[in-house]
Amino acid sequence: MTFLYPLGFLALLAIPCLILIYIIKSKYTEQTVTSTYLWTLSEKFLKRRNPIRKITGIISLILQIFAVLFIAVSVAHPVFTLPGKAQDYCFVLDGSGSMNTVQSGSTRFEIGKSRISDMISSAADGSTFTLITTGNTTDMVMKEVTDKKSAIRQLGAVQPSYVASGLSGAVEAANKYFEENPACKFYVFTDKFIEEENVRNAELINISEEVSNYALDDVKYTITKSGVTVNGKAFSYIGNAEFTVGLFIDGSENAATTAQVSVSAGVGAEFTLSAENNRFTSLRVAIMQSDGLSLDNEVVLYNNHSDTSYKTLIVSNTPFFTEISLISAGHTQIEKIKPEDYKEDTKGYGLYVFQNFTPKSMPTDGAVWFINPDSGVDSTSGFTRGDPEQFENPVGLRQNNNTSTKVRKLLKDTVKEDEIYINEYLKCSTYREFTALMYCGGDPVILAGSNAYGNREVVFAFDFIETSDFALSYNGPVIMRNLVAYTFPDLVDETLFYSGDTLAVNVLANCTEIRVEKPSGKADYIDTSVTISEYELTEVGEYTVTAIIGNNRQSVKVFSQLPAAERTVTATEAAFLINGEPSAQKRDGKYEDMLYLFIILAVIVVADWMVYCYEQYQLR
Amino acid sequence: MAKTVIDEEFLSQVELLQTLIKNNVAGMFGGNHKSKTYGSSCEFADYREYVPGDDITKIDWNAFARFEKLYTKLYLDERQMHTRIYIDASYSMGYGKSRKDEQALKMAAAFAYLSVCEMDKVSVYAVRDSRLNCLINGMLGKEAFINSIGALNGVEFGGDSFLSEAIVPSTVGYGDGLSVIISDFLTDNDFEAAIDHLAGKKRHVLCVQVLSKEELNPKVRGKMHLFDSEDNNKYYRKNITREIIKAYNMALEFATGRIRGYCAARGADYMLVCAEDPVNKIFFEKLVNEGVLK
Repeated sequence: MTFLYPLGFLALLAIPCLILIYIIKSKYTEQTVTSTYLWTLSEKFLKRRNPIRKITGIISLILQIFAVLFIAVSVAHPVFTLPGKAQDYCFVLDGSGSMNTVQSGSTRFEIGKSRISDMISSAADGSTFTLITTGNTTDMVMKEVTDKKSAIRQLGAVQPSYVASGLSGAVEAANKYFEENPACKFYVFTDKFIEEENVRNAELINISEEVSNYALDDVKYTITKSGVTVNGKAFSYIGNAEFTVGLFIDGSENAATTAQVSVSAGVGAEFTLSAENNRFTSLRVAIMQSDGLSLDNEVVLYNNHSDTSYKTLIVSNTPFFTEISLISAGHTQIEKIKPEDYKEDTKGYGLYVFQNFTPKSMPTDGAVWFINPDSGVDSTSGFTRGDPEQFENPVGLRQNNNTSTKVRKLLKDTVKEDEIYINEYLKCSTYREFTALMYCGGDPVILAGSNAYGNREVVFAFDFIETSDFALSYNGPVIMRNLVAYTFPDLVDETLFYSGDTLAVNVLANCTEIRVEKPSGKADYIDTSVTISEYELTEVGEYTVTAIIGNNRQSVKVFSQLPAAERTVTATEAAFLINGEPSAQKRDGKYEDMLYLFIILAVIVVADWMVYCYEQYQLR
Repeated sequence: MAKTVIDEEFLSQVELLQTLIKNNVAGMFGGNHKSKTYGSSCEFADYREYVPGDDITKIDWNAFARFEKLYTKLYLDERQMHTRIYIDASYSMGYGKSRKDEQALKMAAAFAYLSVCEMDKVSVYAVRDSRLNCLINGMLGKEAFINSIGALNGVEFGGDSFLSEAIVPSTVGYGDGLSVIISDFLTDNDFEAAIDHLAGKKRHVLCVQVLSKEELNPKVRGKMHLFDSEDNNKYYRKNITREIIKAYNMALEFATGRIRGYCAARGADYMLVCAEDPVNKIFFEKLVNEGVLK
């Protein structure tokens, strides 16, 4: 027997104190009576006493000493070794999307939890329980919990994810824990098949049964003059199958059209659905037969693209290339004026293009492009114009190859390397967050960001025609198209994702709040201080993105599918290897109800003192 | 300290009572108590045939006319008794807040007055240690009572009491009345010899045991160290519990029963009195009920 907290024996110091108190409190009350004759005589009439009752006078003291002893021992927490009984358990529970497959009336995840719960319940007292779950992230949900009820309660709160997740994270976490506790016994609950020789220092408990699963993938729609056409692939992962795929428009319960699909096991079968409706909001494509994993049986496609009919004002003496570029990008409402005709209080345009001209103050109600600005702008622009840098021979612009953000990906879409040459540019510096698309030397020459009014802003630090071949280059129109897309963003650019993907939400001008509501009904608020805010999709189903823009509310919906990797209900995992030599050391036992004992004894001590005090009060 | 215990109202009530002596007693002439012998009182007792020499004034001539025989009327003789009252003046009688001493003195005075009213002589003694201190000797008549009874107020309670050692050697008389012993009898010392001695002297003995309310029904509880008021070397140290109180009550019953039994065996009267009880209640209820007074 050992003691976890030997300092608990300091409580024994209370015993001498207790005895001292008893000596003091046991002082007999002296009193002179007329005669002690009858008292002495009464001795003869006392019943013959049990020897144990002779200690009645100090029974209270004895009980209290026992109480202190028990309390001291409780605090010191004795630990008894029970060989072959107590054990450290570490459970690894696969929380990937495929664990949502229903078999025998429960999901695999629930079955895994139930099995773990049974093991916890039947484990010897003193055992410890550690739980590692995989899913969106690999988490050690609990570590070395000794209380079974608490362990089962924490286990009950664990939920499966809807993302594609392997066990590699769990292997890493298990190895780390194994280094701390080589005596721990590992149990892996998963539906993934792992070769026996690829499992080390762990017991693999496969909880998958063979159940049918159908799925849809690569579903797209095309709007035609007469309607809409939906194309996609249907899968059956267990055996050949034949089922019906239906198309439901705008939330209708009745299929607009259906198609019979025959599929071979594991091989995608293409299908096409057509409907005479090209003004829809949403299209739901669903397999109309049920299977073990219903999450991948439907896909919802949305038509979120708004009609962007912004008016554009070009202030330039040479607007031709700019106008052509904008028209080619789909913007036809363009007005052109000379710089001398521009009035500072001009309003009502979605885009202001200032070419070789700089207004005294920034427009407040639309996006702004500066092309080779001729002077500095006020501080709301977020940049300052420097002196021109000139070259004798044209110099190629260098691209920013960093595509780490959605902004950069958008701006660099299909842009080629070293294709634009200039012989003069303006040295600009920024004091707001801008993304540089191209550099000359170390200076940015094409910048994209937003101004102080929340409107998007693009700066070209060179002239399109006179000092560069931008207008004649391949990249010119491409960059213009990308920048137009950047300037007039939709709230979201895509509507169909896989669970685990990142949703890019464009933070539009004057946007003060963006709320993302999950399929489960929970909602998150995302950052609106950036140009594009990113949000990880972790559930399967319909997400609603709602933005507050000025006084208006704009909502769009996106759909998150179950990742393809999680549809194959008989997935495999390479290995679950925990490296190192396990220890045979067993976990020590413990007293479960020490706290209750402590409380009971404390109550006895208090009650005893209360009785004593009451007696003393009565004798006063 | 001496205590004033007698008041006139009480005495006037006591005057209405009369002691009931169990046997006709010997004694001096002139008392109020009937003797076993025939005498000259007015109370007719019997007839007997005339014997020459008898007082001819006692011949019943009506009986002679009827039976033609001379019969002499016999009358009861009335004798004067000597009531002797012994007060236990030990410390246990007078200690603390108990009113045993007061009660003892009151009862002694009451008995004295009762006897005086019956034309008896009264002597009152205080027993302290082995000494018998005569407080009133041969008091006769109410006037003497008024003059002498104040002596009771001067009784000092203290020391131990050895009743037998004090009473047996003293003059107790023979067949001439009532001996009253007023004590708490809470002692290992011999008192039985005194009762035997008095009974042997043909005295009518009355033992009055005076106990305080605390002695009859003790309230002390818990860890107590009780010292004896008469002897500090005697003590009782115990955690007084309900069990001990039960034993105490049994001891009390035993002690009083023992005295009662002893008295009964010797034709003596016994009475247990609570010190806090009013004296008139004791006299007009208890003693009357017990047949000591009428």
